[in-house]
Formats: sequence, C-alpha cells, structure tokens
Amino acid sequence: MAPQATDMALASPTLIPLGDSALLVRFGNDLSEAANFAAIALARRLIADPLPGVVEVSPNLVSVLLRYDPMRTSFAELTGEVRLRTYSMGGAASASGSVARHRIAITFGGEAGPDLDAVAASLGLSAADFIKAHNAVPLRVLSTGFSPGFLYCGFHPAALVVSRRSDVRASVPAGSVLFAAGQTAIAATAIPTGWHLIGHTKLRNFNPHANPPTQVRAGDEVVFEAAP
Amino acid sequence: MTAILAITRAGPLTSVQDLGRFGMLGNGISAAGAMDRAGYLAAGEAVDAPVGAIEITRAGLDLVLEQGSCRVGFAGGDFILRRNGEPLAWPGTTRLSSGDRLTITPGAAGNYGYLRFDAQIDVPMLLGSLATSSRAQLGGFSGRALAAGDRIRLKSAQPERPMTACHPGAGPIRVIWGLHADLFAAEVRNRFVTSPFTISAQLDRMGVRLGAPPNMFASSANLSLVSDAIVPGDIQILGDGTPIVLMRDHQPTGGYPRIATVISADFDRFAQLRPGTAVAFRPVTVEHAHQLLRSSLK
Repeated sequence: MAPQATDMALASPTLIPLGDSALLVRFGNDLSEAANFAAIALARRLIADPLPGVVEVSPNLVSVLLRYDPMRTSFAELTGEVRLRTYSMGGAASASGSVARHRIAITFGGEAGPDLDAVAASLGLSAADFIKAHNAVPLRVLSTGFSPGFLYCGFHPAALVVSRRSDVRASVPAGSVLFAAGQTAIAATAIPTGWHLIGHTKLRNFNPHANPPTQVRAGDEVVFEAAP
Repeated sequence: MTAILAITRAGPLTSVQDLGRFGMLGNGISAAGAMDRAGYLAAGEAVDAPVGAIEITRAGLDLVLEQGSCRVGFAGGDFILRRNGEPLAWPGTTRLSSGDRLTITPGAAGNYGYLRFDAQIDVPMLLGSLATSSRAQLGGFSGRALAAGDRIRLKSAQPERPMTACHPGAGPIRVIWGLHADLFAAEVRNRFVTSPFTISAQLDRMGVRLGAPPNMFASSANLSLVSDAIVPGDIQILGDGTPIVLMRDHQPTGGYPRIATVISADFDRFAQLRPGTAVAFRPVTVEHAHQLLRSSLK
C-alpha cells in the first residue's frame, strides 16, 4: 500500500542544529496530531535505544531535542543515525510501546475556575454541558516541559476550540486547569498564563524530591472527570 | 571540626551552583549551573574542590568563617578580594581560619566570580545537582539566592572529577544560525552579523537583553510559532524587536523566533560582559564550533 502523505512527512523531518551541542528533529511547522505523534514516538524510541553520544532526549510539541556530546559524535553522524531511525519508523508512529493512562479529577468553575462560564457561553453551551463535553473523550499528553510538571493535553474536537484570553494573568496557582487552542493544560507550579482558567485539580505532577520528578509523560493518555 | 561560613553581605542573585542539573528538560527544568564554567572550574582546580561553588555577582560578597578552617579558591571575572582587609590577587587561593573575613568587591571586569572550597557546600543534592535554578526556585540553598545572615556548612567530600575548561577566545561572539534563522530576511540576518549591539543593564541568570540598532528586527515581528525547545545561548527576538540571549536559567521551551545561538566556546566570555559593553556576532558552522571546542580543550 502506498504510504499516505502524512507518513511521508513523518519520514522526512527537518533536522536543525540548536547551537553546537543539540539537534532538533522537527516534524512540522504547525501543531498537528501527526507531527506530535511522530515527535513523541521518535523520542520514546531514542530513549529506549539510545544513540552513541546523545546525552538527553526530550520531546516537544512537534519536535525532539537531542542534546549530544560534541567530543563523542558529530552533527553529520547524528543526523545520519536519526534519519535511519525515522525512516525505519515510517508511519508506525502510533504503535510505540505502552501508554500509561491517568485519571484526573477536576473541580470546575467557582473561585478556582473564574473563566468557566464565559468559555461555555462563547461555545453556546451551559457550564454543565461544557464540562460533559470537555470530559467526554480521553486526551493525550501532547507535551511537557513548559514549566516544572506542566501538561499540555489535546486535542478537543473543533466544537470546543476557543482562543487565548486577550490579557495575561501574572500568576495562577499550582493545580490550575487551563483551556485554550483546543487543549486543556495543567500547571504543577504557579505560572503566568493567557489561557482561560476553568478549574482546579489536586494533581501535582511535580515532586523535586522524587526522581523522576514527574509521573505523567508526553504521549500518556488522560481521562478527565468532575471531582465529586 | 565542621567549617561554617556566615554570609554578612550578598549581592543580588548570589547562588550555589555547579555544572548544572542535566536530563530534566522533559520535566520542565532547565539545567541552571555556573554562568562561567571556566571560572567555576578554575576556582575548584586550585583547591581540589568537591562539587559546588558560591557564584558571586557583580556587587560582590562578604563572609566570615564562623568555625573550623578551610581552603578557598577563587576565579571568574575580575574581583577585588580582601582577607581580613588585606588584598589578595584574583584569581587565587587562600586559607581561612575561624574568625577570618573575606570581602569581595567588583574589579575591572566581569559579572560572575566563583568561590570553591576544599570541602563540600552542605546543601541537598537535588536531582543530581547542587545548582540553584532561579526560574524553578529549586536546588542550592532552599531554592533561593544567598542573603546576609545565611549560614553554610562545609562537609568533607571527594574532589570533583577534573574537567578542562574551554579557553576563552577573543573578538566577536561566535554564533550558529538559529532555529528560526530562515524566517528572518537575508538583509536582517546580514545586519545581525555586521552591526554592533550593546549589553543592556537588564541581565540575570535567565537572559541578557541587548541594545540593538533601531528597527533592526521591526520587519520580523508577529511570527506565530509553535513553542519549541530552548538551549543556553539562543538569541530570541521579542515582538518589539528586542534581542535577548537566553542564559543558564532559560525557560525550557519558548515561542519567540530565535535567530542564532552562541557557541559553547564563547558562552562563558559572553556571560561575563558587563552592561554597556559593545558586542558583535559572527556566524560559524557547527563543525567549526566543534573544532574550536576540541582545540580549546587541549
């Protein structure tokens, strides 16, 4: 069977140097499900089966960062190895290893979710119907790494997409549940944000005294439920 | 007997550092670590120091050894160091006994200096490192900058594995074209590597804002980018055209366009440039940057 267009794109990412000790493998210029899948799949593969000279592998929304030791490998050698791995992965990006599933209880609205009603109204929904739609299907963790333990989860269906707020809140507390751009994000530490604040969770995906300090990884599945 | 240092005056952002907390980017933590690695290594080499240093900033530091004794090595930038009022040559080493005072004030150049001891700074090893992250507010001394009144214990420990520092180069700061260089017009890229910039007064462990010729990046504004990985030395251009060189406490990911990245061999030298200093950038290839690293490490 002929490979689909998206598979071809995944098989030929753009490889870009980030300074002299890192390489970025980028699967697209826009955030798409396919590019995100490919980035996470390649990262998981390179963590499970490391390349010589690579000292850190970290997936982003549409790319994978490889930090390397320039005394142990060269940019040319590394790009060759990465291309080989990517080609052999082909369109099989989705079938990569086990995926953990996390249940996350959210308290929607109220003082901890002051934007809930406005977000629901902008989508033509009651708050109750928005919550139901928000929790209807499992999402994937698209990326981590924005701040300690931060999670981007997506994608919601097109009917639930809202843009960011026009102003930025200087700080929202740890546990804040944020909503914008077809995604739900969860902050594990206090952060500034221009996303809508729709609720709060007891989940703290960051404990610096544990190693690793986070439990939820990019590519994991999350199921949201309304806290009792 | 355990040695105890008491900080009696600390410049802003004085912190405990080592070479950094690596491997944590996916958890949302950038590595932090010494702004001038060569300075960190030089201070430690002289006294066979275990891991860890006090990184001092431009305003300097005063301390007194309250109990015990230790040897201290100091290097990085140019500072004026007095032991009980008597000036000692910087960089150098000295021995401190109970009651001895060190007074460190700014010298002719540099932003960061390092004090290292023949014993280990007794702060918790967190995720493999003693480094303080000013961004994540973790590591080092309770995740914060040192301040007057803080007491630091020194405990005996093995010397850190010796490492050779990069020999600092001279001339323009060399860069590799960045993640989004192709989004800048050829003319803007050309001006970037031919125009003088200045180090602004807004600099810290997270980043150094540059003064740029007027309107240099005006046509590059409003690029909409997917947030992507950042590395130390990345030069990002804010929406208003301000360039910022991201330093060791950089945010792990970011969405502003990045035109270039300072090479490893020139990072320490860049970190030591004081506000008001003129700086120019020159592009090199990755291969050339690697050659520089290999030759400077010999």
